Amino acid sequence: MQNSDSKDAPILTPEMMAKLDRLELVSRKIFRGRMKGERRSKRKGQSVEFADFRNYVSGDDLRFIDWNLYARLDRFYLKIFLEEEDLHFHAIIDDSLSMDYGTPSKLLAAKQLAAGLAYIGLCRGDRVRITRFSGLDGDSPIMRGRASTHRLLQYVSSVQATQVPPMTDVIKRFCIRNTSKGIVVLITDLMDKTGYESAMRLLVARELDIYIIHLLSPEELHPDIKGDLKLVDCEDGDQREVTVSQQLLRRYQQTLGAFVEQAKSFCNRRSITYVPAQSDQAADLLIAQYLRQRGLIR
Amino acid sequence: MSWMNSLGAWQWLLLGSIPPLIFVLYFLKLRRQPLEVPSTFLWKRTIEDLHVNSIWQRLRQNLLLFLQLLFVALVILACLRPGLNGDQLTGRRWIFLIDNSASMQATDVSPSRLEVAKAKAREKLSTMNRGDVAMLLAFSDRADVKQGFTGDKRRLMAALDAIAPTNRTTDLSEALRAAAGLANPGRASFNNINDVQVADALPATIFLMTDGGFPPNADFDLGNLTAEYIPIGNPTADNVSILAFSIERNEEKPTQIEAFARLSNEGLEPVSVTASLYFNGSLLDAAQANIAPESESGVNFQLTDLQEGELRLEIDRPDNLMVDNVAVTALRPSRQTNLLVITPGNKALETAVATERIQKLSNVRVEAPEFMETPEYAKSNEDASYDMILYDQCSPKVMPNANTLFIGSSPPDPSWTFSEPQGPVFLDDWDKTHPMMQFLELGSVRVVEGRTVKPPESGSVLITADIGPVCSIAPRGPFQDAVLGFSLIKTTDTGAEVNTDWAIKRSFPVFVYSAIEFLSGGITAAAAQTVLPGQPMGLTLSNRYEQFQIQKPDGNRETVSRGQQSQLVFTQTELPGIYQVFVDGRESPVEMFAVNLFSARESNLDVVPELPLGAENVAASKAVTRGRSEFWRWLIAIGFLLLIAEWIVYNRRVLV
Repeated sequence: MQNSDSKDAPILTPEMMAKLDRLELVSRKIFRGRMKGERRSKRKGQSVEFADFRNYVSGDDLRFIDWNLYARLDRFYLKIFLEEEDLHFHAIIDDSLSMDYGTPSKLLAAKQLAAGLAYIGLCRGDRVRITRFSGLDGDSPIMRGRASTHRLLQYVSSVQATQVPPMTDVIKRFCIRNTSKGIVVLITDLMDKTGYESAMRLLVARELDIYIIHLLSPEELHPDIKGDLKLVDCEDGDQREVTVSQQLLRRYQQTLGAFVEQAKSFCNRRSITYVPAQSDQAADLLIAQYLRQRGLIR
Repeated sequence: MSWMNSLGAWQWLLLGSIPPLIFVLYFLKLRRQPLEVPSTFLWKRTIEDLHVNSIWQRLRQNLLLFLQLLFVALVILACLRPGLNGDQLTGRRWIFLIDNSASMQATDVSPSRLEVAKAKAREKLSTMNRGDVAMLLAFSDRADVKQGFTGDKRRLMAALDAIAPTNRTTDLSEALRAAAGLANPGRASFNNINDVQVADALPATIFLMTDGGFPPNADFDLGNLTAEYIPIGNPTADNVSILAFSIERNEEKPTQIEAFARLSNEGLEPVSVTASLYFNGSLLDAAQANIAPESESGVNFQLTDLQEGELRLEIDRPDNLMVDNVAVTALRPSRQTNLLVITPGNKALETAVATERIQKLSNVRVEAPEFMETPEYAKSNEDASYDMILYDQCSPKVMPNANTLFIGSSPPDPSWTFSEPQGPVFLDDWDKTHPMMQFLELGSVRVVEGRTVKPPESGSVLITADIGPVCSIAPRGPFQDAVLGFSLIKTTDTGAEVNTDWAIKRSFPVFVYSAIEFLSGGITAAAAQTVLPGQPMGLTLSNRYEQFQIQKPDGNRETVSRGQQSQLVFTQTELPGIYQVFVDGRESPVEMFAVNLFSARESNLDVVPELPLGAENVAASKAVTRGRSEFWRWLIAIGFLLLIAEWIVYNRRVLV
């Protein structure tokens, strides 16, 4: 079922990039960036956008005193401006072997989604970093600005399916390495036998704006198999003997539905935006329509 | 509710093994095809939900298995043929008479007439309804009840299959009597139909499957029977047969032997055949015969210098009946017997035993009564070295180990009773059927004085005179004793006087010859006797041996013992060919006889259009009405196969 053709497919086409140019990443929380960016911050600071007035207290910067008001009222008032900051955007790609499955493969879809979202961030001057499950030094360099598009695509293209540590370890490592706040988009199939819950809790504790794109292939959603089969897990080689009957397939659908529902409710309870997706959906469409509805994109 | 078994033991075994087989099929580890999936995570959960690892859980949910087991149970139930007994007590009664005589081996209909008859009977049997009963008889020259009245079709079919062809001739009367036994009860005889009927008659229908070829049964009355004649065979069948085959030694030239055969063409075309004569398996001579349709022709062969052995005549032309294309006979081993004549002096008797023919038959030794006192006599008696001892006017102290003929004296055996001498004696009657009395004319014989001879209970009287029986014969263990109540010469005070004029009549040497031939068991005729297959063969063998081994044409040997009989009757003569009689200690046979199908009726393959049964003529019916063939067993078998197919399809081709 692994699809080798999809490995050679382009990550972002010029048409897709043209569509994504106009979009902007939105965070529900206002975070403090490290550099001044094109984004308004909760922090009042030096900017052209006026926010409010307040009474002068000693020690305030004399440059922000509104002299016109002093002339009219004979009292010092300070003009407060909204400070503009940059946004930290992290995309975490699950590059486990199970992702290299489906037509087109889930990994390709994940790469396209990550690249698309990262490209939007780059266009808006956000701080973009892409992380993958495998390898300690496998994270991308921090990218900023449209000029980094080439580096972004190069990195995303190099991501291949491989053996990965459990999701909890991956997220723990991510949290240690990235202390800044911002948006995290986790693109995964959640097929981790050790469970995804503890990993999610770690992310939630960092007060990040978390999005989970739950990618499943059409073959997983509606398996087209029949007869007496020995199912072999491509990650750990685990074998299950099944006699596929109508009844068993019905059961599978029920189990899958319960799994998806469980993930959704787990995320909702923790303010994580859960986005189910299929690997055969076009990435640009998913971003432009679906994620827009969910508020990640404007 | 009643049950009827419709399957055999092995069929039940097969059927009984199906439910466990289905059960096993459900739990058999299948060779599964490996398929790689991204994760067995969800499947594991799914399977756990189903609890497939628990057999009983799996069984509980497996409706298909229960349906299949139910289906098999129904099939088994169907095979027991459950049913309700109806009001009607008896249905039809059928009697199948199936001819298995030699002519039914004819191959003018494929594969043979007998097989066709069996097939027709099978067809008819298959139409039997519940309540009907049938009886199965095979007949040739005797009737053989293969299966008595029964409604069990399986037993009838098995009995039908067991009917094998015979080489016998045909005689319907015995079969008809057996068949009529139940239909016309209480008959004391078939000639008198006015006797009292003691039981209710049970009318029945006879299906007679034969090609005819038997003598008419004029004295048979069908009574309550209805006969249906189903002719078997093709009237245009082609057959050339040997109707007779015999050999004769030339009286003038004893080394020359003539062989005759009578050939018959039963076909509708003239034929030219070659008859080949084999002696002990090697070709001796051959003769060509042209035979017109439905007529006979003869062939003869002149043979010289032949010792004992088997002569076989073969027609080298294939036809519809091969069993009558071969005939056999044998040149018998000549055997001289030992004869002891003890007489005080009797010219007539000595002359009679000195004839050329008796000399050929026996080594004759004549001794005076004093010889009985010698140790040589005692030893010969012990060794049974004489086949026959003739005591003239004298008797031994104990009966010897030999056949005896007493002339004018009495054996030392209290079971024989004699009267005082009386005279004159007039001979009234003599048993011409006895081999000793054949060709005798005694009416003119005059006897001066004689005694009546009353044999023991097992004996029989040969000559009866006005004073009573004067000549009798009786068995004594394996031996025969014959006693003549009057002597040829009467010894008086004045010397020897003639007691009868029999000695000067022609019948006397004939009597002596017959008596010696019968009692000593000598062989003079060149040709072996021949009988029809299945007919008993009477053999007069030397009394020196108690046990004989008879070798059949197929090489099997049968040990027979003479027992208390003077003549050995051998009945196992089914196979045509040469039968040889051996005794222990002798390599060459002591006697031979032949079994041949010399029957013009059997060789004639015509199918009679009408069968005369008593006063009625039964016309041939076209064929047995074709009955309804039952297919339910086949349907069940197909249904069962479908069920298996459905199971496979259900599991392999699930439409998602």
